[in-house]
Amino acid sequence: MDRRIAITGLGVLSPCGIGVGPLADAVRDGRSAVGPVTCFDPALYPSRVAGEIREFDPSAGVRKDQSRYVKKMAKVMARDIQLAVAASNQAILDTGLPLGDPKADEPVLPTVDHTRFGMVFGTGFIPTELDDLAGPVRASFVDGHFSLKGWGAHGISQMFPLWLLKYLPNMHACHTGILWDAQGPSNSLTSSDAGGLLAMDECVRLIRRGTADLMLAGGAESRVTPVLMLRYCLLHRLSETRGDPAAACRPFDLDRTGQVSGEGAAVLVLEERRAAEKRAARIYGEVLGTGTSTVTAGVNACDEDGRGIAAAVRRALADAGVAPGDLGAVVAHGTALPMQDRSEARGLAAALGPAAGQVPVTATKGVTGNLGAAGGLADVAVALVLLRDGRVPPILNCTRPDPEGGLALVTGEPRPLANDLILVTSNAIGGQTAAAVVRLER
Amino acid sequence: MNRPAARPGHGWSMERRIVITGMGSVTPLGLTYEETWRNLLAGKSGIRPIAIFDASTFPTTFAAQVPDFDAARYVKDPASIEKAGRNVRFAMAAGRMALEDAGLLGGPYDPDRFGIYLGSGEGILDFFTLCESIAHGTGPDGKVSAVGFAELGLKRYDPMRELEQEPNMPANHLAAEYGLRGPTFSNLTACAASTQGIGEAADLIRTRRADLMLAGGTHSMIHPLGVTGFNLLTAISTEPKDEPWRASRPFDRDRQGFVLGEGSTIMVLEELEHARARGARIWAEVVGFGTSADAYRMTDIHPEGRGPVAAMRMALESAGIRPDQVDYISAHGTGTTENDKVETLSVKLLFGEHARKVPISSVKSTLGHLIAAAGATELMTCVLAIRDQVLPPTMNLDTPDPECDLDYVPNAARKAKVDVCMSNSFGFGGQNDALVVRRYMP
Repeated sequence: MDRRIAITGLGVLSPCGIGVGPLADAVRDGRSAVGPVTCFDPALYPSRVAGEIREFDPSAGVRKDQSRYVKKMAKVMARDIQLAVAASNQAILDTGLPLGDPKADEPVLPTVDHTRFGMVFGTGFIPTELDDLAGPVRASFVDGHFSLKGWGAHGISQMFPLWLLKYLPNMHACHTGILWDAQGPSNSLTSSDAGGLLAMDECVRLIRRGTADLMLAGGAESRVTPVLMLRYCLLHRLSETRGDPAAACRPFDLDRTGQVSGEGAAVLVLEERRAAEKRAARIYGEVLGTGTSTVTAGVNACDEDGRGIAAAVRRALADAGVAPGDLGAVVAHGTALPMQDRSEARGLAAALGPAAGQVPVTATKGVTGNLGAAGGLADVAVALVLLRDGRVPPILNCTRPDPEGGLALVTGEPRPLANDLILVTSNAIGGQTAAAVVRLER
Repeated sequence: MNRPAARPGHGWSMERRIVITGMGSVTPLGLTYEETWRNLLAGKSGIRPIAIFDASTFPTTFAAQVPDFDAARYVKDPASIEKAGRNVRFAMAAGRMALEDAGLLGGPYDPDRFGIYLGSGEGILDFFTLCESIAHGTGPDGKVSAVGFAELGLKRYDPMRELEQEPNMPANHLAAEYGLRGPTFSNLTACAASTQGIGEAADLIRTRRADLMLAGGTHSMIHPLGVTGFNLLTAISTEPKDEPWRASRPFDRDRQGFVLGEGSTIMVLEELEHARARGARIWAEVVGFGTSADAYRMTDIHPEGRGPVAAMRMALESAGIRPDQVDYISAHGTGTTENDKVETLSVKLLFGEHARKVPISSVKSTLGHLIAAAGATELMTCVLAIRDQVLPPTMNLDTPDPECDLDYVPNAARKAKVDVCMSNSFGFGGQNDALVVRRYMP
């Protein structure tokens, strides 16, 4: 492959804080950011814990004109979109690319060909905020019941005019593209938990085929909303534990109780390697290969044998030209939902073959909860930063490891990193699967 | 045809050629592609008063709706789609018909080399339950408490119906129905989604990640919040209510917005040698794809058509086709004031002198705007135009607009020599995509 892909910028917002640093510290130290739900009153919800981002200013950290744009537009950006824009800003600033002076009428990134700069985001389909509909709904009641006739006659006119734009799943890319004048390819993948790594797969192909030189691979989602928590409670996916929230999410643990909703955004700047080297960029690592597949067991099920996960992992390894035994570590999806964890353990074991018992497997969701479309790329980011010290951190809350698949789950103490090749995987229940192989650079 | 070498830089080498070997489609104008095509050529409109829900008091009371059909006929187990939305039902029908059309229903194919890429929107929101739960939770301050929302929501919401809203459900259902485990994506870049999906699906074949792809789109926004959202943005036409078939008027001076449609078109994309080896009928070759972003404003198109011009140019360059070799352009042609003006300007900027000669029409005049399914459906009309050497008309073009002065094939289908077609899609939010298909020549 003559066009190689360097990772030259990281932007992460997670329940651990703003930036990849706080997330990496929390994963290394085994500190969970999962707590009681505070952004709404979960008293009647079967699941009452979540990984929330507590303090977040969407307009922080960028230059004044960009900050002004974000402040002005914040009311038409649902939280997912705000998180994505902020993580993108962080990631681009992290690249060290020179910034233009808007007063001198310079391009926003003067050394970048803006027509060859694009982005692909993994996004969720964002549910409406309830307050947005409260007034219009009330105005629509006829004889004590909600009425469509009433909605048409009295409800619609009370809605916020730009309501639709606040929730469209391509608005992460729209606003980020406007802020950074990215005129290259722009896509938004609605592939649930796998969205972030699928975005990376597409970005890699766009750079390799020569359509773009610089791409943002991103993912952003908030699962901590009254509508989504209700949905996943009804589907029995969420932990209903009443114990210590920090112990609620237990990936690959025999006593696991389900997923914990989380929220976050992760954006990686992918840059054609020669261009990155030419400008002497700091290179966190290289994307060697990606692979994708899907679950075929049904839309609300996981493959019993994890074959969709195994297929994505095998394809990523083949694309990277890496043998399973050469991997230094695996960062697994590990949501702590029993059926999903089991499927993943079997799929990983099948794809890793005889190496399954040796390659250390870790997971981060005990610390953050499920970041949805942001999860896979947050895992890549944290691996690039944290594993550089040569130690694979243990899986938080995995105290009685499930022997399923015979994986070398890291528990208790960190394990040494034998090799700089890292595999990261994501999968959606009933949906897409994805994997990526990255090589750390020090 | 004299075909200049594809311009290096977009990676669309001739090494692996991509052909269309099957099509399936469900639209407001027909439950098969032949029926839709016949009606399009006859200038028949699919636009009627909305019957799916009571829209009698909405600002817009009409849309182009898919006629009633029995989706259960298109799946092995009707229970599998019992709670599914219209988008899934359309996709199951279109997907099965595409496989049948390609001679692939029941195999043989390698499921690991067969992927899915769908432009795909939301399922159908349970709007009544949402509104009644919101009302139940609304306090005197006009704010909605999650306690009150959940109190009713937990009783009323159907878990599977909630799950079916997620936009990757059509892809998930198709993967499960046919056991397809190749790369699987769903994307939502508003109105550009399925054009982009087909372009990227072709890339997945070109890069050897798959030999076969089910690619296209499925969507219905003819639901209360969909119509509400577009009404609030004043993007959709509201008049004439008594003659709704006159409401979609692309390129006409009196145009006033688009008309919502719904449906699904799915194609089987196949690597040429794979198709030849099994003796498949070849519809056409996908020779070019261009993708860009406006990076301008949330909803307005760049006034000089920066993004559309870039996408169309990239599509031609990747195909190695000169502007004067294009026989027909299937316009995005939404019928909004801005789109039609800027699209016309963009075609002029890119095609120069040839802009006056190349026919360009908008099937949205009778079919409505299928949003995420629009691009795939319009590409299907290009394929059929190549087969039948006839161009579908732009209906309702009664009063010319001085700013829209190209040959829009007004009001009647037309015989023409058609070998090369370009299909344009420009999304809300600034994503622009163009595909070039060509009569297959060995």
